[in-house]
Amino acid sequence: MGEDEFEPVIVAFCCNWCAYAGADLAGTSRFEYPTNVRIIRVMCSGRIDPTFVLSAFRWGADGVLIAGCHPGDCHYVKGNYMMERRFNFLKEVLSHLGIEPARLRLEWISAGEGGKFAALIRDVTRDVKDLGPSPLKKV
Amino acid sequence: MSEPKKMAKKTDAAIEAFKTQRVRWVMGISQTGLKIEEEKYRATADGIVKDEIERQMIIGAIKERGPLTISELSEATGIAPDKILRHMIALRKLGAVSEAGEKEHQYLYTVL
Repeated sequence: MGEDEFEPVIVAFCCNWCAYAGADLAGTSRFEYPTNVRIIRVMCSGRIDPTFVLSAFRWGADGVLIAGCHPGDCHYVKGNYMMERRFNFLKEVLSHLGIEPARLRLEWISAGEGGKFAALIRDVTRDVKDLGPSPLKKV
Repeated sequence: MSEPKKMAKKTDAAIEAFKTQRVRWVMGISQTGLKIEEEKYRATADGIVKDEIERQMIIGAIKERGPLTISELSEATGIAPDKILRHMIALRKLGAVSEAGEKEHQYLYTVL
């Protein structure tokens, strides 16, 4: 690996009940995934305010991942549906701002899907690497 | 202003826009009990979000540079003057801005 190879910074918002537990399982199961991800635990994906996502991009994140419970499995019944709705808005807003919408991902991970979590992080890291550094990184 | 800097300013305005009641109200409505078609709703809501971003850009420019005319605001934000005028009418009605004198036969606007 070249010294100056681009290493993206990915902020992952994980819900406490499913995705974070999935990340925890990935760790205890010794699944390897890239270290580019910075996990932020939130109680529910519905807690993720659009300003959190925009602020992450504003302060230099190359990608943002939102991971919540599978539809129908939300600990708070419909938090993930609320997030899904906001996510669609956010994609529109990102393209309006000139940030590639592909830098933002929403995925559903259950507490038992440690392998899926590790695979997702690999996938997101590769995709964001392909996109290159965020234009806001230079500001 | 460089392109990333412009993007950063717009992103800052978007962050402020998402803090406003108008946008939060639109985003907060649950999917159930929605009487209008999803597509129509999305288009309306997207319009509101984009409008609010522009309004926050206008407010940001006045806060940064002091009272400005419509042409100056258009120059500072890159938004067309007729659109700025529409935003100013709305912002004035909401009590967010007011006229503060004149410059070259144009009103100067300040934030309240």
